[in-house]
Amino acid sequence: MSKVMEGRPWLQTGGKRVSVVRHDARAGVGMLAPAGVVILAVTIFPIVYSVWMSFNNIQLTENGFQFTFNGIQNYVDVYSAPLFWHSVWFTVYYSIVTVAIELFLGLLIALAIQNVEKLKSVSVVVMLIPWSLITVISAEMWGYIYNGVYGVLNAILQGLGVIHSPINWTGEPVTAVIALMAADIWKTTPFVVIILLSGLQMIPRDYYEAARIDGANGWQTFWNVTFPQLRGSIAIAGLFRILQAFGIFDLPFVLTQGGPGSTTTSLAMLGEETLFQNLHFGLGAAVAVSTVILILGACLVFLSAFRGMVGEEAQ
Amino acid sequence: MKKPLYQRVIGYVVLIFFLVVILLPFYWMFVTSFEPNSDISAYPPAYFPHHWTWSHYEEAFGQFHFGRYILNSVIVSIASTFFVLLFGSMAGFAIARLPIKFKQPMLIFLLIISVFPPLVVITPLYMLLRDVGWLDSYQALIIPYTAFNLPFAIWILRNYFLQVPGALFEAAKIDGASVFMSYWRIFLPLTTPGLFTAAVFTFVACWTEFFMALVFNPNNTMRTIPVGIALFNGQYTVPYGTIFAGSVVSIVPIVILVVIFRRWVVSGLTQGAVKG
Repeated sequence: MSKVMEGRPWLQTGGKRVSVVRHDARAGVGMLAPAGVVILAVTIFPIVYSVWMSFNNIQLTENGFQFTFNGIQNYVDVYSAPLFWHSVWFTVYYSIVTVAIELFLGLLIALAIQNVEKLKSVSVVVMLIPWSLITVISAEMWGYIYNGVYGVLNAILQGLGVIHSPINWTGEPVTAVIALMAADIWKTTPFVVIILLSGLQMIPRDYYEAARIDGANGWQTFWNVTFPQLRGSIAIAGLFRILQAFGIFDLPFVLTQGGPGSTTTSLAMLGEETLFQNLHFGLGAAVAVSTVILILGACLVFLSAFRGMVGEEAQ
Repeated sequence: MKKPLYQRVIGYVVLIFFLVVILLPFYWMFVTSFEPNSDISAYPPAYFPHHWTWSHYEEAFGQFHFGRYILNSVIVSIASTFFVLLFGSMAGFAIARLPIKFKQPMLIFLLIISVFPPLVVITPLYMLLRDVGWLDSYQALIIPYTAFNLPFAIWILRNYFLQVPGALFEAAKIDGASVFMSYWRIFLPLTTPGLFTAAVFTFVACWTEFFMALVFNPNNTMRTIPVGIALFNGQYTVPYGTIFAGSVVSIVPIVILVVIFRRWVVSGLTQGAVKG
């Protein structure tokens, strides 16, 4: 905002210029309008409406949707259902574990790319392929790899002597969670790599030169130069991924269908089930609103934990 | 500056290991799409197929409507990308260059709404689309996809518009160009890298979106690729050969696109990291 002013100091002066300013402002509002209308109609209106829905009992009848105000009853019902708390717990630990592993592996791979002479641009292209892959395709692909009867993962592990008989990966609670996490980490770590690689390339060469002159070894250089300079990029990558992970839907929908039982039922899956399979619109809205509050809370916690780092990067 | 030998060796070992891990599942999907069903469900599987067949590709595009799914995805993604670029660049220009009020709150507001998950907007939109009779239509996806991708596009394009010298705007005005004309003729051509970045991100987001497409367009003729694949169930077993044949065909164009536009994807993520 201030930059615009700097470029046009006459904006602050009065007189005839004011009408020009007013004309520009009117043009500005006109140019904002199309984006504003679409965003308001598709995000703000539905969000407000969802909150209203969550305080109503909604029946789908021949005459359309019938609303009956019932206060906080939907929230009482949702919060007294063990399945909701199971979904909250699953979504939270799933997000934390996958994002932590992704940040670790992402940093490892980004550093590896930084340290090699060849393969750099090829690596960037390879990293972008899983990013552009439809999650549903990735889920089917991993479903075939994990298959308990003819899956190639069992064949490889048996060949290596790690397991004695085939495992039904998506059929048992513990292995289903691991399988889901591995498929997710496989698809999203490359995205983290690209962000961290950009961050690495922005670190001034002089810093490394100084560390070298001081006689720092590779490990010391990493802890004293690379890592502190990269904290902003790590925070951004982590925030992006936490947000996505909390809304996870596509992968378990196809790969485990939320099972076995409801082991891998995420909050988004629970919401979808309540809304569109059981047609409990009021309850579903309460789940959706609770999910949003949880996500905003998670963002705040993450941001306040990383405030210093993000602030530094923004300078 | 050349890295010490041991660092380079470790780098190559780690990098090659992960490149193989990333690419192997693709190899497996690719060869499976050419195997007859008896080989697909054989255990232990052959790491290199003995028999090759095109039959799954014929099934995907004949018996199943994979061509239609791809067409639907292309239409929805291109239309959404077009509207995002048009509306996003206009809004980004207005925020960057015109004396309007509440710029800072607007930018923060855009960040906040891009955080909201689709789950919270999907039901009201579903009810609305149902009332208007727009379920199973292209606009049922184009409108929400445009809205959801606008915040990122506006942010990115605003940053690019700020880099264009303000003096150009004044010069154009003295020459009698209207505000819209100077946006269209002077600023837009100077921000093509930003347009590319916004375009690639929007296109990939629309191409891969599943939740809204599943809820709004479940009809077989209106399904996009992810919905088509997810609802592609065989009667007794999952038809992996057919699914992978369709998947391979739908992966190729997007990979080509990403390879061509990789510079702008990377610059988009860098921008996000710096300005975010």
